[in-house]
This record gives sequence, structure tokens and C-alpha cells, in this order.
Amino acid sequence: MSTAVSPFLAKRASGGSFLIEDLRPEDIFTPEDFSDEQKQIADTTTAFADNEILPAIREIEAKNFDVSRGLMRKAGDLGFLSVDVPEEYGGMELDKVTSALITDKISVSGSFSVTFSAHVGIGMLPLIWYGTSQQKEKYLAKLASGEWIASYALSESSAGSDAMNIRARATLSTDGKSYILNGEKMWISNAGMASLFTVFAKIDGEQFTAFLIEAGTPGLTVAAEEHKLGIRGSSTCAVILNDCHVPVENLLGEAGKGHQIAFNVLNVGRYKLAAAAVGGARNAFRDGIRYAKERKAFGKSITAFGLVQEKIAHCAAGIYAAESVVYRTVGAIDAALAGLDKSSPSYMHQVQKSIEEFAVECSILKFWGSEMLERVVDHMLQLHGGYGYVEEFPAERSYRDSRINKIFEGTNEINRLITTGWMIKRAMQGRLALLPAIQKVMDEVMAGPGARTAYEGDLAAERALLDNAKKLGLFCAGAASQKYGTDLADQQEVMGMLADILAEVLVLDSTILRTQKMAGKNRLAVQLARHYAAHSFSVVVTAAARLIGAVAEGDVLRTQMAIFRRLAKHEPSNTVALGRSISAAMVEAGRYAC
Amino acid sequence: MRILTLVRQVLDAQESVRVVGGAVDLEGRKLVMDTMDEYGVEEALRLRESGTDAEIIVLAVGPNRVEEALRTALAMGADRAIHVESDVALDAIALSSVVAQIARAEQATLILCGGQQADWDSQALGAATAERLNWPQATWTRALKLRGTTLIGEHDADQGSESFELQLPAVITTQQGLNEPRYPTLPNIMKSKKKEIRRESVAAFLVAPKLKLLGVEIQEKQRLKRILDGRDVHAAAAQLVQSLRFEARVIA
Repeated sequence: MSTAVSPFLAKRASGGSFLIEDLRPEDIFTPEDFSDEQKQIADTTTAFADNEILPAIREIEAKNFDVSRGLMRKAGDLGFLSVDVPEEYGGMELDKVTSALITDKISVSGSFSVTFSAHVGIGMLPLIWYGTSQQKEKYLAKLASGEWIASYALSESSAGSDAMNIRARATLSTDGKSYILNGEKMWISNAGMASLFTVFAKIDGEQFTAFLIEAGTPGLTVAAEEHKLGIRGSSTCAVILNDCHVPVENLLGEAGKGHQIAFNVLNVGRYKLAAAAVGGARNAFRDGIRYAKERKAFGKSITAFGLVQEKIAHCAAGIYAAESVVYRTVGAIDAALAGLDKSSPSYMHQVQKSIEEFAVECSILKFWGSEMLERVVDHMLQLHGGYGYVEEFPAERSYRDSRINKIFEGTNEINRLITTGWMIKRAMQGRLALLPAIQKVMDEVMAGPGARTAYEGDLAAERALLDNAKKLGLFCAGAASQKYGTDLADQQEVMGMLADILAEVLVLDSTILRTQKMAGKNRLAVQLARHYAAHSFSVVVTAAARLIGAVAEGDVLRTQMAIFRRLAKHEPSNTVALGRSISAAMVEAGRYAC
Repeated sequence: MRILTLVRQVLDAQESVRVVGGAVDLEGRKLVMDTMDEYGVEEALRLRESGTDAEIIVLAVGPNRVEEALRTALAMGADRAIHVESDVALDAIALSSVVAQIARAEQATLILCGGQQADWDSQALGAATAERLNWPQATWTRALKLRGTTLIGEHDADQGSESFELQLPAVITTQQGLNEPRYPTLPNIMKSKKKEIRRESVAAFLVAPKLKLLGVEIQEKQRLKRILDGRDVHAAAAQLVQSLRFEARVIA
């Protein structure tokens, strides 16, 4: 197992079980469970972000890659680049919560964050997981120190989400000593500053395979920098392979099994993207609050106005929920990894299997997290008025930088399809007891209004909402599969609506459990959870109504709508009062604080 | 040799300050090691790195939360820590007695501490400690080297600066510019987990603060809200200079 920094280990959970199982607060990992060491690591990361990255933003954005390289070296010196590196190669091999926490706290610049994540994630993980000991010895130390930057080249102009469709080819040379690669890769992060590329190509046009290629290898050319909407200080180029000779010992993993590498790193990339979104959102939020506190209109600070407070509260609740779901998920992954035998020869394979178990959570974190960030940067820009639209203030950059998150690491559309598709597949395989749960809800709703679980305490109403959100999710899944059966996968809009409901169930569940775990000690947390619950349930209800409208008609529609109304019925909470109170606390703190 | 460095905790400079019930409200606020003390810890590490065989002991006096600052110092590279548990805030004179007693017990020959304390700003601690131990002291130090048992350094004087030499044992107080404190690296954070924090009760030191803090308040400067009529530019400029010099007193 990896070195556990956390004293607390979450209960072993299986991926996707959030929809059908009710966990107790003590079963999940929350940000309040960070150990002293994790807090210290977070402090060091925050200090690095505030004192080293933020002052360098102008240079970073101007694509002064020497500055970015210098920051990566410093990050290497502090140990940020060796968190996932095995101890035998000089790394620290810390737990995934710590790794996510660093990603979270380092994310104050979209550009640098992408440079960093592309390096430690898709850049280094394939080598860590699939490299031979010779390959690791040759490259890992240089990557862990930041002396070398890594880059991952999979996408092509006509192969993005459909990555298996790549055209790049590899052919074994006649002397059998090297593979000759030809093709063109597109949108390659870090390409302009990388020393090592992980490149995917098909041997003889068939076997999907990864290769490690050093920069400067004849036949490998990095094209000009793309002119991007955002993350302008990160490097994104095409990489052209023209009879590029790669020594056979640089084939990574096994020939024909490159898809395992490509897919497994994506899960990590996705939850880390959400961790970065949390950090980015907190940073944009701080910028927005700072501006709003200074800005006077009609003789008072604009933070005194209700519509401003509403935005502040909405964003704060989103960040709170995001922290809850990110660390709950990564904590669950750590709990799964803790059970593994590190000395086993199949350890690295087991690690990937354990993470893959949470593929559905990773996909949800990806699309939900990037959309949470999008809301925050949009609202915070709005607080700036006209100043939000000019480069003088950071709000404009944060707004542009956030947009890529909905595109890379699998578009949000692809991740929505994965989310629902994965749940259905698991259910069909009998690995997730979804069908009995759907049946139970169907029986229950057909039997008419029954007694509801009566909750007590601060979040009684919200726990009831969560129950109903889960039921609506199961009911909708049942209604959709009744209508389409195995053809449901072709109904992308319906798949998307189900994914939205599933995401809200996971996020709300995590938010409520985290808040319960604080046992009423934090009033602000309760308010944030209540505020988020109101928003979350409205998303669920909207998606459910659209879904029913799409799958049913006539009498069936009327019956299903009767059931829907019963499950959707609730007394609205006072989000105006909650919002004002949340906003006052945030304005007072001058940042996101909970 | 043994170097004793004292660390204190203050509100993070980015936190907003709120007064509740006559005291600064620390509830839910981020506390950090006082930067002045950070210079002390850093300087101890640098003396060791430049070849002195030294054990670095870091000391904090205060409630449980000060252990966070101790852990930071350990993660920066200090060898071990002593936490004198006290829920009562000690004034500089009382605190100097604890520092002196610990220095004697640990046979430390160099004490480093912040000259100021970001939330209190007395310059008394270093001097009082030196007096109790009958050791020489150098204040406002901005450069320091150790040759044998001689400290060679520079410090600020009222007008300009002075270079000095003094013999160990000695007390050195720091100031901005002495060094650039390092970040605790991740490997050092993990290693510091195993380092000792020894806890002692303040009762054993027989000290009591002579100074009692009765209340605090945040001073808010009232703005004059005066607008100079700029129709006569020269007159307005003269008026501005007049106001800045004699009313606001921000220029000489």
C-alpha cells in the first residue's frame, strides 16, 4: 500500500454504490479528516502557490516557459512531483488524498495547473504503472525533480474522445532494433517544453501501443504553439512523427495493450481535474470577494446587495459541495488501495483496478466539478461588472481558463455517457444491485404514498430530499430502461439526464454526510449544505421531469408524473435567508472559508 | 552546540481581524508561525548547514494549537521541540524566564528569537532573556555567521548599521532581511512526524504574567473626505502638500 498520511481510513465501498447504499457519516473521508501532515503539506503548497506562482502569472501567461520550467524545478525540490513515485525510485508514494490536496492547493493559475497536472498525471503515471525497471531508472528521477517535463500524446485531429481510432503507425525496423513511427498528434499539453513524450501509435496499424520518446529524437517535431482561448501560459502543440526511430526498449507496457494505459490514467486525471477545479474555484472566489468588498455603488459596498450575496452564497455552497465529493471519493480510493499488498508483482495492476472500480465517480467528478468551476468563475466575473471584462483583473483570465475543463480528459458529454453507461453495465453484470433497488422503488411508489423516514436534526429536510433524489434516480432509470431496454445507450439525451441525477445524488450525499460528520459544530457548514441541497434537488427534479416527458406518453405519462410529483414534493427552504447569512460569513473572511 | 529557537503563533496576515469580547477572535482563523521567528528557525538551520555541528531545539509556550507552529519548524529541519503548555498568555518578561530556564536545562549556547511579535511588537523578550542569563545580545540582526565560538554579524542601528562580534553563549533577535525562510519540503514534513515534541507544564517554571491584557480594539482611521477644488491647480497642489505634511503627517 501507499504510505498512508491519513490516520483515518474510510469504509471500504464499491464504486457506484452511492445510489443504493446509505453510508453513515463516519464511513466517509472528509476534509475535516486531514491529518497534521496533510495540513502541513497543504500549507506548503498554498505558500508555494501564493508566493511563487501568483507573482509569476504575467510571465507564465506570456508563454515564458523558462519561468514555468523554473517553477516546476522548485515544485520538484519541494517534493510535489514525487508524490506518486514509488519509494524505490526515490519517490514518496503518498496516499491519493495527499496527492489530490496538492493538486487542489496548487491550482491558482489555470495555465500552470495544466503544466503541473499534465506532468505528474498523464505524463508520469504511464511510466510509473507500466515502465520496466530500466525505463523507470532512466527517466523517473529526472521527471520527479522537474529537470525534465513529461508530455502525453494520444489525441489526433480525427481521434479525440474516440481515441482507439488513431492513425499514427509504428513499424518494426528491419534490424528489429527500433520502431519507426509516423503520424500527427494534436492538442498535446506540455509539448513545447517536454523532454519525454508518451506517444500512442498502432503497430502495423493494428496493435494500439505506447512508446516513450525523448525530445530531440530525429523524426519527432513539435509544431508551433496553438493560440488558445484560455490556459495561454500552458504549452499546447501538435507533435509530428516522421520516420521517428524509437528503440524497442522504449516500448511502454505491452504491444497491443496501450489502451489499458490510455484508459487507466484517465480515471486519475478525472478526479484530479475536479481537485484542481476546487482550487481554481476557491481562488476565483477570493478574487471576486476582494473586488466586491472594495467596490462601492449607491454609497455602499456591493456586498450589501442581495443579488450579489446570492451569487456569493451560490458559489460558496458549490465549493463546499465540491470539497465534500472530491475528498470523499479520493478517500474511498485510498481505502481500497490500503488493502493491497505492495510486494505483490501485480501491485501496479491492482492499483489501477482499484481506481477503476471508481470510474463512475471519477467521471461524475470530472463533469460536475468542471461545471461547478464554470459557475463560480462566471458569477465572480459578474461581480466585477465592466472590470470583469478587461485583462487588468484576474476574473477575466479565470473565466477563460476554466473553459478547457469541460473539454479535456474526456468531454463532459462523453463523461455523462460513461456515467450512466457504467452504472447500467454494472447492473447488467450483477455487480451492482441496481435492478433490485429499482424494483423496490417501483413497488413502493405503486403502492401509493407511504410513511416517510422521519429524520431529526439540522439536516432533516435535506436528508429527506436526498432520499427522494435517490428514488427519483432509480425511478427514472427504471422508466428509461422499460422504454428502451438495451437500446438506452443510443438515447444520449436520456443518458445525460440520468447522469445529471446520478451526479447530484453523489454530490449531495457527500455534502450531507460531511456536514453530519461535523456534528453540528459548524453552523456555516450546515447553512452551506442546506443551500446546496436546495439547488441540487432542483437539478434532479428538472432532469427527472424532462426524462419522463421523453420516455412516456398518454396514460403511462400521467401515472409516471403522479409518481414524480409525489417524490418531488417538498417544502422549499429559505435560500434567501441562507444565502445572506452565508455571504456575510464569506465577505467577513474575505475568501471561501468553512 | 545546541541552538534554541523560540516560535510564536500569530494570525495569518491574510486573515481579517475581528474582536469578540475584548479579544481578537481566533475561532476558525488561520494561525501561522510569526515571520520574525521563522527567520530565527531559518538562521539556525543555515548556521548548521554552513558547517556548525548543532542540535536545533524549537520552543513554544502556549495552548495546544502552538504545536502546529512547532511542527512547521520541525518540518523546516529543527531536530526536536519543547512545548510548554500554558493557557495563560505570558508577557515578554515572564516568557523570558521560561526561555532562560529551558536554555539552562538544555545547555543551549545560542538563543534565536524574533525581535518583534507581529501581534504585540515589544522588543523586550530577547533583552530580558539575555539579562536573566547574563549573556550578550544582538538585536535587529540582518546577517550572521559563526566562526568557532564567535558570532560575526551585522545589525541595524538608529542611523545606518553596525557590524559586530560576540562570544557564545548569546541571544540574537532577528528582523526582516536576515534570510529568506524555506518552505518545509514534503519529505521533511513526513520525516518530522517522527521527531519528538516534549510537553511540559508552565506551572513548573513558576512564572506569572505581570501584565494583564484588558481589552483590544481595532483602530479605524476616519477619512477626512475632503475634496480639493482643482480650479486653481497651483493652489490645490499647495493645499495638498500642506495637508499631507501637517494634518496627515505622511511627508516631512
